[in-house]
Amino acid sequence: MIEIRWHGRGGQGAVTSAELLALAAISEGKFAQAFPSFGPERRGAPVLVFNRVSPNSPIRARVSVAHPDIVIVLDPGLLYITDVTSGLKEDGILVLNTPKSLVEIRSELSGPWRLAVVNATSIAREMIGVPIVNTTMLGALARATRIVELDSLTEPILERFGARARGNVDACRKAYEETETGEPAGIVPKRPKIFEGEELPTWQELLPGCVLTKPGSARQYRTGDWRSERPVWDHQRCIKCGICYLFCPEGCVKQTKEGYFEADLYYCKGCGICARECWTEAIKMVEE
Amino acid sequence: METLAVYVPRLITTKEYFAPGHRACMGCGEALAVRLVCKALGRNVIIANATGCMEIVSSPLPYTSWEVPWIHTLFENAAAVASGIEAGIKVLRRKGKYSKKPKVVAMAGDGGTADIGFQALSGAFERGHEFIYICFDNEAYMNTGIQRSSATPFGASTTTSPAGKVSIGQATWKKNMPAIAVAHDIPYVATACPSYPFDLMNKISKAIKIEGPAYIHILSVCPTGWRLPADLTIRAGRLAVETGIFPLYEVEEGKYVLNVDFPRLRPVEDYFKLQGRFRHLTQEVIAQIQERVTAEYTRLREKAARVRDNE
Repeated sequence: MIEIRWHGRGGQGAVTSAELLALAAISEGKFAQAFPSFGPERRGAPVLVFNRVSPNSPIRARVSVAHPDIVIVLDPGLLYITDVTSGLKEDGILVLNTPKSLVEIRSELSGPWRLAVVNATSIAREMIGVPIVNTTMLGALARATRIVELDSLTEPILERFGARARGNVDACRKAYEETETGEPAGIVPKRPKIFEGEELPTWQELLPGCVLTKPGSARQYRTGDWRSERPVWDHQRCIKCGICYLFCPEGCVKQTKEGYFEADLYYCKGCGICARECWTEAIKMVEE
Repeated sequence: METLAVYVPRLITTKEYFAPGHRACMGCGEALAVRLVCKALGRNVIIANATGCMEIVSSPLPYTSWEVPWIHTLFENAAAVASGIEAGIKVLRRKGKYSKKPKVVAMAGDGGTADIGFQALSGAFERGHEFIYICFDNEAYMNTGIQRSSATPFGASTTTSPAGKVSIGQATWKKNMPAIAVAHDIPYVATACPSYPFDLMNKISKAIKIEGPAYIHILSVCPTGWRLPADLTIRAGRLAVETGIFPLYEVEEGKYVLNVDFPRLRPVEDYFKLQGRFRHLTQEVIAQIQERVTAEYTRLREKAARVRDNE
């Protein structure tokens, strides 16, 4: 039995792609499962989805996957906020969506497992028109792991997406062609950095009734990595009216000493409201 | 150019009482509404917040986005908890044990107001507690994944009122919560929308000074549940007002005032075509909705005109 863990963000379609993978496996006569695990996650927040695929026997396990054979990461930013390799088996494989090359990723992240990389975001933009990479990453997964045949994926995608299926199928195929895989590096695992959440208090330190005594402590929590586009201000056109400041749902737009505005990228989720509401069109959304 | 400089930061406080780092979806109209409400409320408040999106996104243990005293209540009892806080403060002040007088505010979503918290709210209005009740109306249970509430508008597709071959989506009309609040004969009722931020903040400032219950109903655009791009949040709210679907008015001691009035309303279709939840509507259904919106707006306008004529 092969166990898979998907790391995605709410709204990126990780759940859909896990389901499509299960359908493709089932169409090949295999047994498969797909199910998500989430708490109060919002669009943009990290989510986990799991698959189990078994070539010849029914799957009895119903619990989440702790020691996956395959880990797929839909969003490059997730590498820096969660330990995506947690529990990954030594002979496992890590499939990443990243604009970086295999060599660059190796220098950031190395372990006993194999590595596959593809720039799915740019493929999805080109083939589908939006940076939603779930079907694209299915192609990369098929290439890197041979868990299902590429052709088995076509039918479920066509069925799920209807009129928009063509672009998704093309993106899936293109990713299949462009995915680079690397052999195990055989180096001791090293983490890129310390992940947030590790400084959480223990249960003994929490007050009864879940009382929080530090107002505004959510300021520590980075929401900036939910972003796929960032606002950029053109100072030539800016009249310093502050509409961007007023309409920001995060409250992350700040005024500088010169009177211009800028977004605090630690929090900015890239919703684009400031760019849309700017009277003088001084704000542009730029891809990360 | 110099005279135009720095409009907004001069007009409102740059203090944030709703801290960034909250986990609302990108482009959340409700998070923006809460941020603006908190700016207008200031420091001297105690907030009781019912379960719902804003509770979930702002207070995942051990973090909190709130910089004012804040208590999470259940879905059904935001108004009851606020009543208790207000009564407690009153008693402590009478006994001379407490000298401050913070404003008590209850916040809830449309589910926590129009459905689950309804009887607690009605009770609190009837008892006449001095508090502000703010309903952040995003027109469905967005927190649990877009289930219909009694505040979901006619024709909207949600997961529990899905549009299909037979169903047109939500088959009942939106519950008119402001009118129900007015029927309790409370001193102040208002509707607001973060797309009109100064109107919203003025209403909050007014509500703070009211002795007795005040009810403010805020339309909070939900890009996730309404199925519209995150950057169109403000525009969708503005269109809701410009089409007359969500008119901005206030009712002071029973007297209606229309805060934003238009000589001619935009067709409701302008508002619908932005949103995926209305995409399936046929021209006949749109015409039916248009008729009802026009009739309700006319009625509201007449109420406001009657007040003007009497003065």
